[in-house]
Amino acid sequence: MFKVKIYLNTLLRDTNRWSWGTLFLIGFVTLPLFALFIGTLSGPGESWDHLLDTVLVDYALNSFLLVLGTSFFTLLLGVSSAWVVSRYHFPFKKIVEWLLIVPLTLPSYITAYAYAGLFDYGGPFSTLAKALGFGTPKVDILNLPGLIFILSVSLYPYVYVASRAVFLYQSSRLIEASNILGANRFKTLFYVVLPMARPAIFGGLLLVIMEVLNDYGAAKYYGVNTLTTGVFRAWFALEESDTAIFLSIILLLMVLVFVLLERWQRGNRSFQMATKSAIRLPSIHPSKTTKWMLFIVAFVPVLLGFLLPTFQLLQWLGITWEKTASTSYGSIALQSIGIALLSAILTVLIVLMVIYFPKWNRLKVLKKSTRLATLGYAIPGAVLAIGVMLPTLQIDRWLLQFNQNSGEIGAGTLLLLNGTIIALVYAYIIRFLAVGFKPLQGSQLKLGESLSESSRLLGKNTLKTFFKIDVPLLKTGIFSAILLVFVDIMKELPLTLILKPYNINTLAVKAYEYASDELIMESALPSLTIVATGLLPILFLNKLLLNNS
Amino acid sequence: MKKIARIIAAVAVLLCSCKKKAKDEAKIQEVNVYTHRHYPPDQELFAQFEQHTGIKVNVVNASADELIQKMQLEGPTSPADVLITVDAGRLVRAKEKELLQSIESPFLDSIIAPHLKDEEKQWFALTKRARVIAYAKDRIDPEQLSTYEDLASDTWKAKLLIRSSSNIYNQSLMASLIANLGEEKSKEWAQKIVENMARDPKGNDRDQVKAVVAGEGDLAIVNTYYIGRMINSEDAVEANAGKGVGIYFPNQNDRGTHMNISGAGVAKYAPNRENAIRFIEFLASGEAQLVFAEANYEYPVNQNVDPAPLLQSWGSFKEDQLNLSELGTNNKAAVLLFDDVGWQ
Repeated sequence: MFKVKIYLNTLLRDTNRWSWGTLFLIGFVTLPLFALFIGTLSGPGESWDHLLDTVLVDYALNSFLLVLGTSFFTLLLGVSSAWVVSRYHFPFKKIVEWLLIVPLTLPSYITAYAYAGLFDYGGPFSTLAKALGFGTPKVDILNLPGLIFILSVSLYPYVYVASRAVFLYQSSRLIEASNILGANRFKTLFYVVLPMARPAIFGGLLLVIMEVLNDYGAAKYYGVNTLTTGVFRAWFALEESDTAIFLSIILLLMVLVFVLLERWQRGNRSFQMATKSAIRLPSIHPSKTTKWMLFIVAFVPVLLGFLLPTFQLLQWLGITWEKTASTSYGSIALQSIGIALLSAILTVLIVLMVIYFPKWNRLKVLKKSTRLATLGYAIPGAVLAIGVMLPTLQIDRWLLQFNQNSGEIGAGTLLLLNGTIIALVYAYIIRFLAVGFKPLQGSQLKLGESLSESSRLLGKNTLKTFFKIDVPLLKTGIFSAILLVFVDIMKELPLTLILKPYNINTLAVKAYEYASDELIMESALPSLTIVATGLLPILFLNKLLLNNS
Repeated sequence: MKKIARIIAAVAVLLCSCKKKAKDEAKIQEVNVYTHRHYPPDQELFAQFEQHTGIKVNVVNASADELIQKMQLEGPTSPADVLITVDAGRLVRAKEKELLQSIESPFLDSIIAPHLKDEEKQWFALTKRARVIAYAKDRIDPEQLSTYEDLASDTWKAKLLIRSSSNIYNQSLMASLIANLGEEKSKEWAQKIVENMARDPKGNDRDQVKAVVAGEGDLAIVNTYYIGRMINSEDAVEANAGKGVGIYFPNQNDRGTHMNISGAGVAKYAPNRENAIRFIEFLASGEAQLVFAEANYEYPVNQNVDPAPLLQSWGSFKEDQLNLSELGTNNKAAVLLFDDVGWQ
């Protein structure tokens, strides 16, 4: 009893306004999850046993193999190219270095469509094989290994970006030390660099895994049944939202396992290196043949992840552009960019709150709540969309009632949240919080506490310190977070399909509409526009990443 | 800090003005359409309707399942006036969920055949599609073909191409078989079909046709309008693939070829009910039906409009006049049955 009293007293003493702010944020972020959770209370739908007997094992196994295979290949492509780029000189290095990130601009479902076209009957590949005298071999890519290939070449940049940053700056001192102590390059790589870089690489890999578990478009087209496609099937074809929610919970558990794995492998060790000691080591100039071999190592991911699919899209564009290009198309592009930009800025604002509010609050319970921020990324977009609809609609109903009570009838069925851009942006924020969170948290950690502590000792309050010290120092981090989120929102599909308001269309939706009407060639124009809008931010981001640190 | 305050103020002003604008627009005549169809010709039609009537068409595009889910969640506050789907099963589902309402339209009553509309006039077909057998012209003699049931025979072992069971057209075909043959026989049929598949189901209908022409299998089960689009494609490979297959209408000596429809209904809580009816009537009018027929190679439901010349060249055929409601009621059974027999 006494203990409880003490506990309550500390609770009261330590609660400050940031605690309330943190609580509000927790509510903001978990509201859709909570709505979904309530949906599970009634148990799974009647077809659950049927699924268990027939297809569930397949779904889970496919998802698992997909994660495993894609992880392996993204690591292979991402780490090797990052190592080569950060340590060696080779021809066209400058171009290849940033081209390696560019596949991020291509949504994986579009890469999937493009490859289906490349290897189609009468497609570029079979035409080439014929011309070279190989006859007409059929490369069947529409299957699980094919899907692993697609996801690997389109998602490896997450690993590449993460590992390159460590290779370039964090490991340099250690590489020097290792070399001086007589270890050769391979020993240095496998015993010093990779173990040191592991947390960063795994962080990138975690993003890859979440993307794999979110993928719906590519898996559907390639005929691979995964837990994610199962969610759609249960929700829509079987009409059992409760069963779908149960499936998504299995998905969430899978993600959770990987998140815990990452924490476990990181353990209590801190891998931070003082930034001041991080210098960029001079690159090595290898012999001419080695140079070209290194070029190939770095170029293959670019070729597979970007150049080949873009080639196919361009070819399709050549056939269909007259039909698809129009003035209304331009307005779709503008709408798309506007919404993505607005949402990206708001997302990063919330990210900052999620990082700082728990820090400023003094309640221990709330300190760790930042972890919740990354949850949204683990939920398939379509499921999250329903999770957003449930509470926003409820609020709309309350508002309507309130309006009618106060005699203000006449607004008709005009809803404030649902079916408006607010619900859509809200969903984007929750979904992509994790994307903005990672880089910002990284830069914030690097910043350390000493500067803001000094500022506060000098009598500036929390907010003043934040705006005068943290924000200017985090400027680059904030900017890159906005760009990253922007590029992701431009590509987002399932959530947008469900939540987008009237007469608003995005490029991703347009591309999907064409593809789902079996007009895949027509989807080239919106797809390539997505790529084009992504290119500039990515190019810029690359510059920032290189100049910064 | 000041900057942020300014930004917030600006956004607030913007939001308020939006709201005001929205209120003003509420007085403008409009119709809110939830549609699964997003073919380019449809947009032309919507524009024509706007021109004729001055009623603004607001469109939400998504799959029928998602739209139904949305309408259900929105309940009485739903702004939807019209729901358009690309198959009958989903319209039946919407009706069962009480998302549609009955409408009186002498025009629709007279122009659309009884089996192509709901008994309580909650939905109406706008176009028809036949799910047919596309055969390799160079290898297969159409004399060998007869019925859907026959595709399960050993003759077609490793010869059959068909897409995945998550596709609605396959679900409806299965549902029609369940309605016609009963669940047990349908299951046997599906089991045999899986054994006869030339490859695991993948890709869309066009991909099945291309695979037939490339020799991966001899027969594909596909919708007619895809073939029409392929033959008229600007892409030479597509066009050649489309021309490489023949069209066979199965079950001509008994119940007829399985038909599915694209159709529309007025939403139960439609705020613009009258406009919604006018909109559907327009889509069933000769003018609009001609566009459906000519630009998208669908069979018109308006009995006064002829199919596209290409479709006419395939000849007339006997349609399965099964009450389309059955496609809806048997849909779930069909999906579960697919899982049972391992049809991916």
